[in-house]
Amino acid sequence: MGFAGNSEPSFVFPTVMGLPHSQSAAGSSGPGRPSAASKPSHLASKRGIDDLDFYIGDEAIQNSKSYGLNYPIRHGQIDNWDLMERFWEKSIFQYLRAEPEDHHVLLTEPPLNAPENRESMAEIMFESFNVQGLYIAVQAVLALAASWTSSKVTDRTLTGTVVDSGDGVTHVIPVAEGYVIGSSIKHIPIAGRDITNFVQQLLRERGETVSIPPEDQMRVSEKIKENYSYVCQDIVKEFRKYDQDPYNWFERYQGEHSVTGRQYGVDVGYERFLAPEIFFNPEIYSSDFLTPLPNVVDEVISSSPIDVRRGLYKNIVLSGGSTMFDHFGARLKRDLRQLVDTRLTKSELQSGNLQKSSGVEVNVISHKRQRHAVWFGGSLLAGLPDFYTSCYSKADYDEIGPSICRRYTIFGSST
Amino acid sequence: MILLEPENVIIKKVVNEKLQKPTSLDQTFVDFDGVRYHMWTPNSKSKNEIILSMSVACWSELEAYGAFQVLQQHYGSDVQKGVEPGYDVSISVDLNTIPQDLEQRNQYINNLSLLKRNAMSAPFLQAFQTQKQLEGTDIPTDGSPIPQGPLLELHYRNQEAIYIQAGIDRVTVIFSTVFQEETDKIFGRVFLQEFVDARKLPSIQTAPQVLYSTREPPLEIRHLPNLIKSDDVGYVTFVLFPRHFANEHIAASTISRIQLFRNYLHYHIKCSKAYMHSRMRTRVADFLKILNRAKLDKNESERKTITGRTFRSR
Repeated sequence: MGFAGNSEPSFVFPTVMGLPHSQSAAGSSGPGRPSAASKPSHLASKRGIDDLDFYIGDEAIQNSKSYGLNYPIRHGQIDNWDLMERFWEKSIFQYLRAEPEDHHVLLTEPPLNAPENRESMAEIMFESFNVQGLYIAVQAVLALAASWTSSKVTDRTLTGTVVDSGDGVTHVIPVAEGYVIGSSIKHIPIAGRDITNFVQQLLRERGETVSIPPEDQMRVSEKIKENYSYVCQDIVKEFRKYDQDPYNWFERYQGEHSVTGRQYGVDVGYERFLAPEIFFNPEIYSSDFLTPLPNVVDEVISSSPIDVRRGLYKNIVLSGGSTMFDHFGARLKRDLRQLVDTRLTKSELQSGNLQKSSGVEVNVISHKRQRHAVWFGGSLLAGLPDFYTSCYSKADYDEIGPSICRRYTIFGSST
Repeated sequence: MILLEPENVIIKKVVNEKLQKPTSLDQTFVDFDGVRYHMWTPNSKSKNEIILSMSVACWSELEAYGAFQVLQQHYGSDVQKGVEPGYDVSISVDLNTIPQDLEQRNQYINNLSLLKRNAMSAPFLQAFQTQKQLEGTDIPTDGSPIPQGPLLELHYRNQEAIYIQAGIDRVTVIFSTVFQEETDKIFGRVFLQEFVDARKLPSIQTAPQVLYSTREPPLEIRHLPNLIKSDDVGYVTFVLFPRHFANEHIAASTISRIQLFRNYLHYHIKCSKAYMHSRMRTRVADFLKILNRAKLDKNESERKTITGRTFRSR
């Protein structure tokens, strides 16, 4: 979260809350059940300031010894509204230090969010915080907007395919003119955490983990993934390159034991290009999911309405931390173009070479702000002058009620 | 978290980050009471130089109370006026000259993040000083007016203001608060009433005296011409006695607390609302449970005729 017009968020922390153990025991109900129901009914008899005693974000993790951790958001959906309301309370007053009465707020939601969730968000924002205006934007659309900063983008459209890969799951989301095509969204169960696991697995197989203390293995693998990995164009060639001249290509990672402070080193080898390769050849990592990312993107686009497909191929936007590998965009573009071209030649052959295709332009856009693309897109759009007109104000809310937030005007598409 | 911290977390975080790795920077952000900050590196080549500009709504008043001198005391020659158009005061920070020692460095960064608090502290400091000067004088017995310091006004928000006046044995601080929302007004009234009542507890007898009135402004400021008279306005008066600013340390914490009073009030109104909402959700969930229990079971057993045919209900 942060303020509009900036190029990077002021704060990045996980949506986690540290509650005192007495409360977290009561609050941790099973998923699916409304959590409030499990709270003790003698809540009314509670006096004092217990409800202010909690931490959020990184502070919560630091204090996790004396406070129980709770996650108010599950799978991108708000799960526990009580906690979320208090989370916002603290993030606005302690971190952003802004009076909500004086500001407009832009919240994001995952694609296919239930309209009821939108209404609840609006209820909290208007009723308890009295915000001046509120806009709820879909994350994928903001990611598209963020790609406008790239020099390769000439026309600012809100049509394109968003490949959003975070820590838990990867989504491929087609967007046409600012509206998400819900029926063709696809998820891939391979994302950042899997890459880390894969790196760890590779290290273990080569026997490198002997020198790493077991409790640090996860962290080391994460560092290797972030700092040394890149996407290669051809695995076989890359393997040969490494074998011929290992000294040139192998890197050494220096680590420090988190408890004892002892130094240790790890050789980083094939992991460098194999790690992100699980997107393109998932069979080297998992046996459940075998469709490579380019094929998934292709499937998503070809299941979209025919009149927007060209636009979707032309504007494939990357977002999220797990798309930050070097050459990730180039590889995706190449593989995807191969798929499309083979299909085109095939259909040309089938028509007996009577009809010639004019070719489909495939373009993958990667830019500098990929990591926080959604946030940056929000910052960009909220900085536009017409943001204020597309927001719903407190007066509108009082007039119509929470159902007002079911529809928002898509702005920026005309510019 | 009961109290809000006086320092700005973003300033702290950004400076700490840039100390690790200086990069070019251009950020705008805000603080309570409509304060705007702009932090940027003016020179694209030397990234160690950061300018932190601040704009405050009531800067002209603050300056009259010597805010600039106060800031100079805190930041030395780093603080300048009119460096950046649209902002009132700027501080240039050179990352190279920040003390290396961890403790000193933290103190320096803390001091930076207290920029708004330091600027706003000027009228308070002035009032404390006036009180010290007046302290010796006796209360006149011949009916002539009691000597007191000038009334310092601080219009820190659009419709709200702080009034500070020094007397012989006290400093009076009056806040005028405006509530825009109907619910907020009620919450605020209950909260402030509680504030006054809490003072009666024996454990906090040394706290400043608090008075609260709606609509009717307190006597000290009743003569002012442009007071808004409506039900939305409430006046909170704090009476600070010399023990509340006896030494520098206590005075500093008094100033920090009292400045954030309005934000504190509004923060806690929001918190109470959140608490009420969670109670409401619990209640609704309870009622739903009862409703679900009251649902009649459907008669599942099929009714058959003697020949074995079933009825179908439409």
